[in-house]
Amino acid sequence: MTPQEEETPVADTNLAQRAISRRTVLKGGSLVGLSAFLAACGGGGSTAAPTTGGEATPAPTTGGEATPVPTADSGEITGPLNFANWPAYIDLNDDESASPTLDDFEAQYGIEVKYVEDIQTNEDFFATVAPALQAGLDTGWDLIVLTDYMAARLVRQGWVETINPANVSTAAANVRDELRGLGWDPDMTYHYPWQSGATGVGYNVVSTKRDLTSIGDLFDDAFKGKVTLLSGYQDTFSLVSLLLRERGEITNLPPDLTLEDAQKIKDFLQPFVDSGHVRAFTGNEYLQDFGSGDTWVAVVWSGDLASSGGEDDRFIYPVEGSIIWTDNMLIPKGAQHKRAAEAMIDFVYDVDNAARLAAWIYYISPVKGVADVIAAEDAELAANPLLFPPADVTAKQYAQPDLTDEEDIAFNDLVSLLEGA
Amino acid sequence: MGQLIHRYRAAIPWLLMLPGLAWLAVFFVVPNVQMLLFSLSEGTLLTGFTTPPDTWSFDNFPGAVTRYSGNFVNSIVYGGLATILCFLIGYPLAYGIAFRGGRYKSLLLFLVIAPFFTSFLIRTISWRIILGNDGPFLGIIRDVLGLVPDNFSVIGTPLAVVGGLTYEFLPFMVLPLYVSLEKVDRRLVEAAQDLYAGPWRRGGAITGALLGGFLAVALQVGLGYSQFVGETATPGLVALAALVGATAGGLVGASMVSQAFLRVTLPLSLPGVFAGSILTFIPSIGDYVNAHLLGSPKTQMIGNVIQGRFLEQNDYPTAAALAFILMAAILVAIFVYARVLGTEELSGGRA
Repeated sequence: MTPQEEETPVADTNLAQRAISRRTVLKGGSLVGLSAFLAACGGGGSTAAPTTGGEATPAPTTGGEATPVPTADSGEITGPLNFANWPAYIDLNDDESASPTLDDFEAQYGIEVKYVEDIQTNEDFFATVAPALQAGLDTGWDLIVLTDYMAARLVRQGWVETINPANVSTAAANVRDELRGLGWDPDMTYHYPWQSGATGVGYNVVSTKRDLTSIGDLFDDAFKGKVTLLSGYQDTFSLVSLLLRERGEITNLPPDLTLEDAQKIKDFLQPFVDSGHVRAFTGNEYLQDFGSGDTWVAVVWSGDLASSGGEDDRFIYPVEGSIIWTDNMLIPKGAQHKRAAEAMIDFVYDVDNAARLAAWIYYISPVKGVADVIAAEDAELAANPLLFPPADVTAKQYAQPDLTDEEDIAFNDLVSLLEGA
Repeated sequence: MGQLIHRYRAAIPWLLMLPGLAWLAVFFVVPNVQMLLFSLSEGTLLTGFTTPPDTWSFDNFPGAVTRYSGNFVNSIVYGGLATILCFLIGYPLAYGIAFRGGRYKSLLLFLVIAPFFTSFLIRTISWRIILGNDGPFLGIIRDVLGLVPDNFSVIGTPLAVVGGLTYEFLPFMVLPLYVSLEKVDRRLVEAAQDLYAGPWRRGGAITGALLGGFLAVALQVGLGYSQFVGETATPGLVALAALVGATAGGLVGASMVSQAFLRVTLPLSLPGVFAGSILTFIPSIGDYVNAHLLGSPKTQMIGNVIQGRFLEQNDYPTAAALAFILMAAILVAIFVYARVLGTEELSGGRA
């Protein structure tokens, strides 16, 4: 690990290249993992209806044919708020029985929040809500969280409610400037970011018996059969493209990957899948596999292992670079409690609320001023590269591929050949 | 009134069948017609579908077969092995309960069904734990016996998938077998013994050895057990497997199978064998949960492809085509199987 230490002058930024382990002592991994599996293989099972069911999904409007559902824009905030999010993406209290953020929101607005960790991968969740959205029906969700490319796709399809600016004044004021003005929604008409994060390499240092630094470490023979990659091309193909770029086999950066590049990446990965080196393609359920020791090294999302992994689980921003993305809050068309969803958007953009959330889940907050609040309370956390990636890391962070629907289908064909189904 | 009933007596069976027929029409025929139309369509959820009569994409069918032939093979091999294993485990169990269960019969049967009281998913996830890195299985063969290297993983091998399938569907095999064995008239067995149906040593040893050897080789090759240890199935390993299987099968055949069983009990239980193997084979061939949770990219079955095409790629036409191909393949397989076993035995005609 010496080369990196020599390169980086300030001791603190070493953390960026070196392994990041978790700070607090938790044991959430197995629980999170279990719900992850249930969602993962539920597929059709865990469809639109939130788990607690019945009264949460009122009958769709009688019109059927894409009739805009009359939602009270200026009216009262009514509940329950049906909130679909990813695992390991909300703060928890000490015994992990409740979430302070959600409790405070419920206390402040007097409505119930039905928070369900139902999103494992963007594609799976899209498939569960798309038929309802296409038919102009209520999905049963009031607030969902999807990554940039998938959020953009929903907006393109016209499947997202507009957010009334009057109801989200805190959010409008506090969202970080670099997150404004995106091509697919320049004026924040449809979305507000939930968190940003990176895709990099996670490993269990006891199992690997050494510190890892690069994407190439995923393919070390010593880890055969104990490696998992994220499913889909957005994370794994983007990250591996950086490795191939380093080797001179690909010239494009991840946002500009072509089908030809994707083919090269697929050809590179195929032998590792055939030999059993790569055991599986996963969503968030890698947390469970790290917990049991079935996975030693994996392509992972930056905050998960820190918030919900074990003592010896580490995350690195690889030397070749990493992938940066933002998950965005959207109100799906026909949501029954739109006003409550807007209240939640505004609530998590309060600086103190945002700081509490980021400090627990270890992702990058989209809220201005969070750094100051955290710095005032916890200097160690303020230096954590998961929450505040240092400059040498951000210089090598790239966005995910931005593809048309047709390109997306072609990329997904390669993915399905690679993943075996 | 009585006259009225008398006059329409012929209509009564139809009236009784009406709810069932209506149910099937609504929940079987209608969705299948819809699926059939999808299987002949083009496009995805995002780009929109072109459905018949605007297009008739019969190409979906051969395209799906060629592209996913590997998954079909996985399904047939794993489903077939799981059915055979279920039979080998289930027949002695059902026999034991039916003939020797005594007053514990009900309790034993309850224990067979007991796993159904928990969710299918939870049971499969618990198999992940049993076969996982920290689990008891590796705890014995890796830590205690040292048979496999440190980074050996059972999860991700075909062994794990077939093991999971066998476990999930064992009750589907045991219950029909039990029902048919329970019905066997004991006096027929006694009569056979009186008529010199004694032990079956030589025939049992030969048949057992052949079956055992074949099964061991099928397991060895079909499961690709050694792929994660870095070896392929060498002729030596196959020969070893055949030897072990033949010895075990021969011993069992010679010591435990009698002429009376062979000539009376087994033929009378064939309807149960047929029902049990159909009930095991059909769900296991279409299963995707086990391959998803216990398998690797190389062990994905056709159910995984259908699930992925429907729910990840939103490619309904290919998914629907695959579903129909699977359905047709299963129907053909059952037809052939019924012919081989003989329809007379299946209806219990000879008993």
